[in-house]
Amino acid sequence: MAQNPRARSEAKSQTQIALEQFRRHRVAMIGAGILVVMYTLTAFAGFIAPYGINEYRTRPAAAFRPPTQIHWTDPDTGRLTRPFVYDVTAERDPVTFQRVYVEDTSVRYPIKFFVKRPEASYRILGLFESDRHLFGVDDPARIFLWGTNNLGKDVFSRVLYGGQVSLTIGLLAVWVSLALGLLFGGLAGFYGGWVDELVMRIVEVLSAIPGLFLLVVLASLLQDPRNPLAQAFGLEMNSAQTFLMIVVVLGLVGWGGLARTIRSLVLSIREMDYAQAAKALGASERRVLAKHLLPATASYVIVDLTLAIPGFILTETGLSFIGLGPSEVDTASWGLLLRDATARGISIQFVPWLLIPGIPIFLAVLSWNLVGDGLRDAFDPRKRR
Amino acid sequence: MFAYVVRRFLNLVPTFIGATILAFLVAQLVPGDFLQQRALEPNVRPETIERLRQQFGLDLPWTVQYIRWFGSLLQGDLGLSFSSNQPVTNLIAAPIRNSMVLVIMSIVLLYVMAVPLGVYTAVRQYSLADQSISALAYFGLAIPNFFFAQILILGLFTLRTFTRETFGYNELLLPVAQMTSSNALDWPWYRQAWDVFVHALMPTFVIATSGIAGFTRVLRAQMIEYLSSDFIRTARAKGLGERSVTYKHALRPAVIPFVAGIGGLLPVLIGGAGLVEVVVSWPGITPTLLEAISRQDIYVVLGLVVVTTFLLMIGNLLSDLLLSVVDPRIRYD
Repeated sequence: MAQNPRARSEAKSQTQIALEQFRRHRVAMIGAGILVVMYTLTAFAGFIAPYGINEYRTRPAAAFRPPTQIHWTDPDTGRLTRPFVYDVTAERDPVTFQRVYVEDTSVRYPIKFFVKRPEASYRILGLFESDRHLFGVDDPARIFLWGTNNLGKDVFSRVLYGGQVSLTIGLLAVWVSLALGLLFGGLAGFYGGWVDELVMRIVEVLSAIPGLFLLVVLASLLQDPRNPLAQAFGLEMNSAQTFLMIVVVLGLVGWGGLARTIRSLVLSIREMDYAQAAKALGASERRVLAKHLLPATASYVIVDLTLAIPGFILTETGLSFIGLGPSEVDTASWGLLLRDATARGISIQFVPWLLIPGIPIFLAVLSWNLVGDGLRDAFDPRKRR
Repeated sequence: MFAYVVRRFLNLVPTFIGATILAFLVAQLVPGDFLQQRALEPNVRPETIERLRQQFGLDLPWTVQYIRWFGSLLQGDLGLSFSSNQPVTNLIAAPIRNSMVLVIMSIVLLYVMAVPLGVYTAVRQYSLADQSISALAYFGLAIPNFFFAQILILGLFTLRTFTRETFGYNELLLPVAQMTSSNALDWPWYRQAWDVFVHALMPTFVIATSGIAGFTRVLRAQMIEYLSSDFIRTARAKGLGERSVTYKHALRPAVIPFVAGIGGLLPVLIGGAGLVEVVVSWPGITPTLLEAISRQDIYVVLGLVVVTTFLLMIGNLLSDLLLSVVDPRIRYD
């Protein structure tokens, strides 16, 4: 029997088709690429960051140091040389009385790679302990690629560490709202009647109160060491627990929209022939719901969730920005870093580098949006190309 | 029509009660209360605390407290603030009004910007302008508004440095903080109003940005769909001008979702306004809320949440009614 050469290409699954479509979506692939880079960088934050998350020295003064100038050419000969930096000394500007840092050009400190700094050891992915850093300079000079904040902490290192919080909180919160949305949306759509009425009322109540208010009240409540959950477990909340709390709070406030989508999808799919057939064959309600109805909502859910992640990232950074996110102690969030720029007595025009942490927020949200749009187009048969 | 309004309004009642219960429950979860903080002060006697506790009804179970509070709420009384001993109604009126200035101005700006942009990009599909506006829309959707506000502040300061050095003009183009100028109290009312308006311009623009971006994108898609539909072809075949076709025939059905969408937009705008208010020290709802939370002044917190929720619901209702004006297919009777 002659083999049909096209048979193989026609036997692609829906997922394969969608993936193929997605790969052809140039903008979405750029977004995905940016995300891969960002998540990789933050996973290896300890290695790439030259300093620890809260490492600072009070002497000599290092507060509000502008980004360290890297010299690529030899000032004597003007020729390209190994990149080096100078140490700086703090001085007062005689006119404005602002503190200015002046380069001390007597000693050059070349930038070294794979340096060991025992005072800033770290773990990669919680597994491999090390104190080797991608780059660094010898003491007493220091290299601050993106300047320092009011305490002299390195903004570059903190942005890398901050990504560990800001990039993962959205990913985790999505699962919480997925679980709640699937559960309540599925139940409401499948059972209808008073269950539907009740669930939709709850969703309506949740969406009636401005989300920010609920978040602010819940987050401030959970930050209090005397909060009921902490008391129930008899523990002081450490940063990891606060982190989880924020995840749960975001998920709790954010599931309403998803539940609504899933409910309306289930309502329409329930009437389809294959769902009716499964019922007629004697499948239990739970089986029909779990095996036939919910999987059919998958493509919508994937798109919805992908587009929800940037929302969660924005909310988390916003909460940290007003001081209600993960605390300063041993974590950083991009929102918290931006808060440094609003501290009392700071004029942003003199410390513009403190706004740098906003750029990764923007990039992450943009890329997730691009990926989400790409996925939506990929799953949409009308937009096949 | 009247019957519909009444029906809709009655339908809001359970939601509103649910929202107040939820808000009250969440506020009750906050450990300790204002009086516990007060009790730590050395010059306050325990009897005073006890008297205050009874006066505010804090010794009762939360269900009783809720019913009492809800009862007085129905009479327009939101209780007393613990920290300033004033009626909550007096305390929260000004912040809510101030926030509404921002929210209403952003809604106006949103429609004024988004409708022409959406129409233009749809009519000139794939032109350079269309593509750059679509790209800008992605930026507008992705930039966190508190960050955007900070960037604009930095920009305005930098501009001032520039104008000082080139023209000797040492003023900010737009004010970047507060709601009024420091000496505004002596001014006549129209000048004060103008002053507030000028102060509101920058935050308004920031708050409206993501909305403009989102609306433009959706309106563009809607317009493109309608412009290729049969009734537009008919209109063109009858010899109608392109202007009339675009604005009278295609735009009208295309904007319908946006009129219906005001209701969903309001909470987003109020929430979004919140962070911007913090950045520019606008004396609005969110700064007041944050302060009340840190003082555990729960009736102020509840008052703000409840009044805002109520306003949102009214906004929703109004947008539904507006819908029947814009969309003749919808008749409420």
